Amino acid sequence: MKAPRVQLMATCLCDAFFDDVARATVEVLEHLGCDVTFPEDQTCCAQPAFNSGDWPAARQVARHTLRVFGDPAPVVVPSGSCARMVSHGALLLFEGEGDRAQAGELAQRTWELGDFLVRGLGVTRWPGRLAMRVAFHRSCHSRGTTYAEGALMLLRSIEGVEVVDIGEGDQCCGFGGTFSVAFPHVSRAMGTLKIDHVLAVAPDVLVSGDSSCLMHVAGLAERAGRPLRALHLAQVLRDALESTRPAAGASP
Amino acid sequence: MARRRVPQVDGGTKAQAAVTDARQRILDRVKAALAAVADKRPLPDYPADIALSRGAEVPGDAVARFRERLHAVGGRSFTDAAALAAWLGEQRVTRGYCDPALADWLAPTLGAAVALETTFVRERIDDYQFGITRARAAVAETGSLVLDDMTTATRLAALAPWIHIAVVTPDRIVPDVAAAIAALGDDPNIIFCTGPSKTADVEGILIEGVHGPGEQVALIGA
Amino acid sequence: MSSGEPVDAFAAAQSDSRRSAVRLGSKAGHDKRTEALFRDYADPDRLRRLAGDIKQHTLDHLDMYLERAQTRLEAHGAKVHFAADADEACRQVLAILHSRDARRVVKTKSMATEEVELGAFLERNGIESVETDLGEFIVQLDADKPSHIVKPIMHRDRREVARTFEDHGLGAYDDTPEVITRRARAYLRRKYMQADAAITGANFVSADSGRLVLVTNEGNSRFCLAATRCHIALVGIEKLVPRDRDLAVFLNLLARSATGQTLSVYTEFITGPRASGQPDGPEEMHVIFLDNGRSDILASDARDILRCIRCGACLNVCPVYRQSSGHAYRGVYSGPVGAVLTPLLAGERFKEFADLPRASSLCGACNEVCPVDIPIPDLLLRLRDRGKRAGARPAGAAPSMTTFARLASKPASWRRALRFGRLLGLIPAPLRPRALRVWDKNHVLPPWRGGAFRKWMAERKRKRP
Repeated sequence: MKAPRVQLMATCLCDAFFDDVARATVEVLEHLGCDVTFPEDQTCCAQPAFNSGDWPAARQVARHTLRVFGDPAPVVVPSGSCARMVSHGALLLFEGEGDRAQAGELAQRTWELGDFLVRGLGVTRWPGRLAMRVAFHRSCHSRGTTYAEGALMLLRSIEGVEVVDIGEGDQCCGFGGTFSVAFPHVSRAMGTLKIDHVLAVAPDVLVSGDSSCLMHVAGLAERAGRPLRALHLAQVLRDALESTRPAAGASP
Repeated sequence: MARRRVPQVDGGTKAQAAVTDARQRILDRVKAALAAVADKRPLPDYPADIALSRGAEVPGDAVARFRERLHAVGGRSFTDAAALAAWLGEQRVTRGYCDPALADWLAPTLGAAVALETTFVRERIDDYQFGITRARAAVAETGSLVLDDMTTATRLAALAPWIHIAVVTPDRIVPDVAAAIAALGDDPNIIFCTGPSKTADVEGILIEGVHGPGEQVALIGA
Repeated sequence: MSSGEPVDAFAAAQSDSRRSAVRLGSKAGHDKRTEALFRDYADPDRLRRLAGDIKQHTLDHLDMYLERAQTRLEAHGAKVHFAADADEACRQVLAILHSRDARRVVKTKSMATEEVELGAFLERNGIESVETDLGEFIVQLDADKPSHIVKPIMHRDRREVARTFEDHGLGAYDDTPEVITRRARAYLRRKYMQADAAITGANFVSADSGRLVLVTNEGNSRFCLAATRCHIALVGIEKLVPRDRDLAVFLNLLARSATGQTLSVYTEFITGPRASGQPDGPEEMHVIFLDNGRSDILASDARDILRCIRCGACLNVCPVYRQSSGHAYRGVYSGPVGAVLTPLLAGERFKEFADLPRASSLCGACNEVCPVDIPIPDLLLRLRDRGKRAGARPAGAAPSMTTFARLASKPASWRRALRFGRLLGLIPAPLRPRALRVWDKNHVLPPWRGGAFRKWMAERKRKRP
């Protein structure tokens, strides 16, 4: 593939809190020669409503998303969770509905960011140099996909980056979207276990392909007085690119 | 408390009708449920060895593999009766049951050390410190002994005493679970015994010898 | 702050020691499963998917396989019955017992018998019914409930068990696990030998051969079927598999998934009453096929849950189960499988249990470990939809989606909300949306940056069109 046009699905979380992650995503894709468009009418993949069981509300939002991304170009999203909503959740949501075929079509061309780089564009090495000990969090939506392998390959290929395993890495961080406010005790207990495991390997930074998990874990850690630094995969990749240029602004 | 006499299930016609009615109701509901299923899954085709565990596929001495696997699950094995007799002596065991079909063969070696009874009396179930019965087969892959109603003279003799000794010949050792299942046949009660009886119900701590034998022994004989 | 969702409240109220016992016990079970499957198979997932296909095929043709199983069983001398619900099942068991003047019964661990509350029914009808599985025996002594489908007293420690034994005349206080086990052995042996009938479940029924498969580690089902003269098996209609050869696939997966063993200690294959010439064992065998809501589940879009072979692997890996334990699920089945089955088996009372499918972060670990590849998260989502349509109201702080949907389907409203979102911080805390307050209690919210990315992107496009 060379210089493809891709549409960015920024995600509602990046829209509200993590603009730097969306910016880094654009910079990373443009570095690889992509022409990135941002359909401005986009809002949300509908996962919050879908997971809440309010499927009529979810369909309303998902239909809007289908319309907004109707252009046939591939869609890239810096979130495994949103990517899975589009590629799997929406198919359940529209079972037996007229939009099912359209949902299936969008599902086929929607990519999680790391997966797009590795399997879509064939990237095997990432340039730059970062002296960084990284604990990588495999978000739950990467189960049954190649998202985590792709991200790990890219991270490990950056000179100076050391990736360490987190104990009980297959256990959920406890975010689960509205789960975190509907089941706050259990969510906090799960997150605390995750924080214990992360801090036990003394990383410089916790990295994930999902801002949702990072928002939960880092937010929990800060409230508990055990702050930890968290970066999205896109930000690390962007910082690595910045390291190859003379004067640069890296991640906060 | 007066006990109401309920009609025999296989005798009274009213009860019989009730049974048939329940059967019909359930089958009708199942059929109705399945009528709406568009893509019914076909029965998948698969090779007989698909669930063969690693290492089991390597051909080798079936007796050696069986013994190794039996020991791994906490069982014991002997290849001659004299060694078994010596071990029984160490366990300070003095009396037990032996399948009469095996008594002639075993009495010479064991009879000196222990008293062998060839009838199993239920009322004296706790008197037998061991039970010696025949096994119909053994499974090398898992270290299991295969017992059944035709070859095990009494089910309780193989189950109730603390020590169960199953006698099996090398030609009856099948390589794996799939082969053992293929050979199940007609016996109404077949059991794979894979090591001594055990539980980990209390704090996950493994204890051997719950309702069944605390010692599962194989005597591999001619 | 109390959340209101029952499973969360239960977890919060649990003692540290119990939570720890449940979490570590579950983790140990999960680790053993992982070790056994990956040691013994190059591709365990391939085996799980095959087992799932075999089970799904069986369910998709269940009427045919039920009829086939009945024919084979009857040909071997077993009597076959059908029970549409719990009431019918209990009455049929009682009728069989009465036909034999049976007053004392020993039973094995069977989820189906717990589902229909057979033990209590028999007691009310003057039949002594003794649980023979050690964990279930202890639960029965205490009038407690099991907290795990494979390890019923995972939530108890040896001291509690020792006190229970002392309270019930099984000996002076001694909390050595070995002593506890020996005492149970001696006590239950007397019960076996005095019993008139044995009641079991079945792990599988092979339709082609009519073989029931009973799996235990303790040998209690084996003892039940050696000591007594009448065998009654209560079997859910979904327990069928097509052929004996398919049993090899399931048996290789079952024990590894449940406890990390290659096979459980006792795997018993039963086609009928004892052979002539065999002095021990039942002279009469009855199989009662139980519906009790299963045909309704078969008709629903959650039918895949009927593949379940009751291994407990999903409980062991589930982070929500680990924090709350089985009792939080208010039913016979707990953990992920319980969150799907309990509301479905409740039939008309579905709404009472509609919170259970919500008690999940949808992490998907359950599906990953399921030996029959049940897509549990998808089923939980479908049940959430059904719950909402049935009018079940969430007790927790999850925000309503109506406003969200309105904002998220109107781009102009969305963009406005992004710009004004930072004003939420100006609202006094008690007036903020409940979800935000709950979040804020445990987390530091990141700074609001609504509109920042869009502005940057628009700038960028202007500079380089």
